[in-house]
Amino acid sequence: MTVRNRWILIGAVTVLMSWLALPSFFSDEARASHWWLGKDGMTLGLDLQGGVHWLLRVDEDAAVQRELERIQSSVAEAANDAKTEIKSSDVKAGVLTLHGDVAALRKIAEQSAPSADVDEEEGALVLRLKDRWKRDAVDRDAATALEVLRHRVDGLGVREPVIAPQGHGRLLVQMPGIKDPAEARPIITSTTFLEFKLVLDQAPSTELLQAKYPKGIPDDQEIVTQPSRKAKDQGKESEALLVPKKAVLGGDMLEDARMEYDRRNRPIITFQWNSDGAKIFREFTGNNIGHRLAAIIDNKVITAPVIQSKIGRNGEITGDFTREEASNTAIQLRSGALPVPLVLEEERAVGPSLGADSIRDGVHASLLGAGLVFVFMAIYYSVTGMFANLALIVNVVILIGLMSATRATMTLPGIAGVVLTVGMAVDSNVIIYERIREELRRGKTARAAIQEGYGRSFWTIFDAHVTALLSSIILVMIGRGPVQGFGVTLTIGLIASMFTALVVTRTLMDTVYGTHPERLRI
Amino acid sequence: MELFKTKTHIDFVRSMPFMVALSLTVIAASLVSIAVKGFNFSIDFVGGTVIDAEIPANATGVIDEARLRGALEKLGQGDATIVRLGGPEDREFRISLRGSQEEDRELSIRILKGLNDDLGTQVVAKSVDSVGPRVGGELRRAGVTAIVLSWIGILIYVWFRFEWQYAPGAVLALIHDVCFTAGVFSILGLEFDMNVLAALLVIIGYSMNDTIVIYDRIRETVATRGTTELESVVNEAINATLSRTVLTSGLTQLVVVAILLLGGPVLRGFALALFIGIIVGTYSSIYIASAVLIWLSRRYGHPVEAKKPERRARPTRATS
Repeated sequence: MTVRNRWILIGAVTVLMSWLALPSFFSDEARASHWWLGKDGMTLGLDLQGGVHWLLRVDEDAAVQRELERIQSSVAEAANDAKTEIKSSDVKAGVLTLHGDVAALRKIAEQSAPSADVDEEEGALVLRLKDRWKRDAVDRDAATALEVLRHRVDGLGVREPVIAPQGHGRLLVQMPGIKDPAEARPIITSTTFLEFKLVLDQAPSTELLQAKYPKGIPDDQEIVTQPSRKAKDQGKESEALLVPKKAVLGGDMLEDARMEYDRRNRPIITFQWNSDGAKIFREFTGNNIGHRLAAIIDNKVITAPVIQSKIGRNGEITGDFTREEASNTAIQLRSGALPVPLVLEEERAVGPSLGADSIRDGVHASLLGAGLVFVFMAIYYSVTGMFANLALIVNVVILIGLMSATRATMTLPGIAGVVLTVGMAVDSNVIIYERIREELRRGKTARAAIQEGYGRSFWTIFDAHVTALLSSIILVMIGRGPVQGFGVTLTIGLIASMFTALVVTRTLMDTVYGTHPERLRI
Repeated sequence: MELFKTKTHIDFVRSMPFMVALSLTVIAASLVSIAVKGFNFSIDFVGGTVIDAEIPANATGVIDEARLRGALEKLGQGDATIVRLGGPEDREFRISLRGSQEEDRELSIRILKGLNDDLGTQVVAKSVDSVGPRVGGELRRAGVTAIVLSWIGILIYVWFRFEWQYAPGAVLALIHDVCFTAGVFSILGLEFDMNVLAALLVIIGYSMNDTIVIYDRIRETVATRGTTELESVVNEAINATLSRTVLTSGLTQLVVVAILLLGGPVLRGFALALFIGIIVGTYSSIYIASAVLIWLSRRYGHPVEAKKPERRARPTRATS
């Protein structure tokens, strides 16, 4: 390539990268209002802008349990069709146990539940989920949970949240700008679901209700309580209700839920069933006028009014909510229930002040480090040292440009990565310049020394970069959060430094010393 | 300006047996410490909760570690580690609780509330981190995998680009650097967090850089002088690249020291690991990588017709 063409290439790359890098230094508003500004910029990592990061895991036991319950009902259906009696069936600790005519049941189970291993133990039939299907169940629940979380976080109006799968059965949620993780956590981890159950019996407290049933409450019923709303009685219950375990209908038939205000301007939750739900609800309320119906969210009774008349598609729940409670609960109801509980594996919260301190420290240290390198290069190699410095600047411009264009995340270790890149990029120039000096010492002409310096150094620099890239790519693959950001910075920086060391300084040298090599100052 | 006005003639090869013995001793000590004492892992690797809390000036009474410990003991968290961040006038503390916290999501909230009650103020939580034990264990495994993978990758690459005699030395030098740096962290009980793991991988990349430069020069010199005087060839190659070696590690250290001193507390462990690693990495390229190369070449021979370093087809011509 001629020197002129190389200049065109360098110019084009620099201009393009500067343009790509520019939006990272402007706010979103400015990006939107100036036509000449690109729209994509680097995002600041949570460690720099503050916010909360959660890593969640789908509870495998719960996912398996849910899958087994599904199998339980399909086996029961098949047994019913085959007129085989199941005396009892029970799902516990990852095992579905069936009692009855074992030989007949075995045939039915093997046909209707291909995803389970069927065995006989102690005169009963036991079904365990196959390993592959366990993974499958977890993956499926993780995918559903991801969608649910997306809806929930969208409802919160957080700017640029991250909600992404993270390996098998794991979910990553990042919410920049959230100051208090404790406040936002329930939105992520609560399995919130709404159920309606008919009230069978009632008492002012659990103890009193239990006292009514000296033989214990029936197996298919349970006691739920309504927490007291009065501040001084926090944690106490105001009423205990006996309800059937099975709900009349649940949140899966809910079409919409919203926070609204009633006539007295109190926040309420209004909801709307889908057509199936509306039908069931209408029939049920029609048959049970005069009875109490409990609206239960997360096993806590929110309200238990007496059914006055048939209710159809729309309903409302009044429960002395605060505005936030009503609004958050509505979001959770609307986005549907999490299929299984999510286990909180990691929580990291960074306050905005720490983020700002980190940026300041990181940038100061980087500027000082890079500044010292610049000064040294200029003194040690004089004019050619300045060429190297120019190349370093182009290197940083390319790095920021590529990171902006790919919307990479800048983290604190990432800032360190930028200056380390400067350190590695300067190495290429040092290799070349030292070689040129060596060739000059051997008595070669300036022109020949430059040729040799670049020619002989090419593969050294290439190999050194490839091996460094190997470890930085591995860093991107295994690292998480800030460390991954660091790996990305380093990888892009290494690629940029190959270009600047081998093309930019070379072209500067050729331009300045091409016709007058005797002027070489190195 | 030049640091090395004349060509240096240091006999590196002669001191190699001594240096290798020294390295083996230090590495053995490092490995013993890692095996016996282990690492002071951060919660990234073992799980737990860390709170960086700033105590506002309106807090009642003396604010020091003992006071906070008293408050934590009331919460049944007497085994927490409490460290003051910054100088004695800073009212910022790091409270660390290592170990399994998976079951206790509310721990950080209870601690902050307990501190608020005890100190009669609103403690500012500058950052709260809590990690479950399972994630921590996985990260440890992933870290080891990453380091071993990069060793294998480099072994293959050097084998492919040079002769096989070069590859074991390059990788042994890297193993040396990682063991040494990790050993220092173990012996001194410095906190080993995710950033330190990242630093170890950067050290691998950096040290490899150094080794490649020296190997490249050895290969180039072998091509002209043959292998009969391999020791003197290696000496010449190391001496010829010495100015570059010193300059580059010096310049990189400038940056690392700037981060170490000014980069803030989050990056301190990272910068320290790099500081140690760059020194060891430079040393190992000279003494370990080259020593192993000489030994293997003496024992199994070094191809006389060394692979010519592929040159760029034709050097670009200046035409302006």
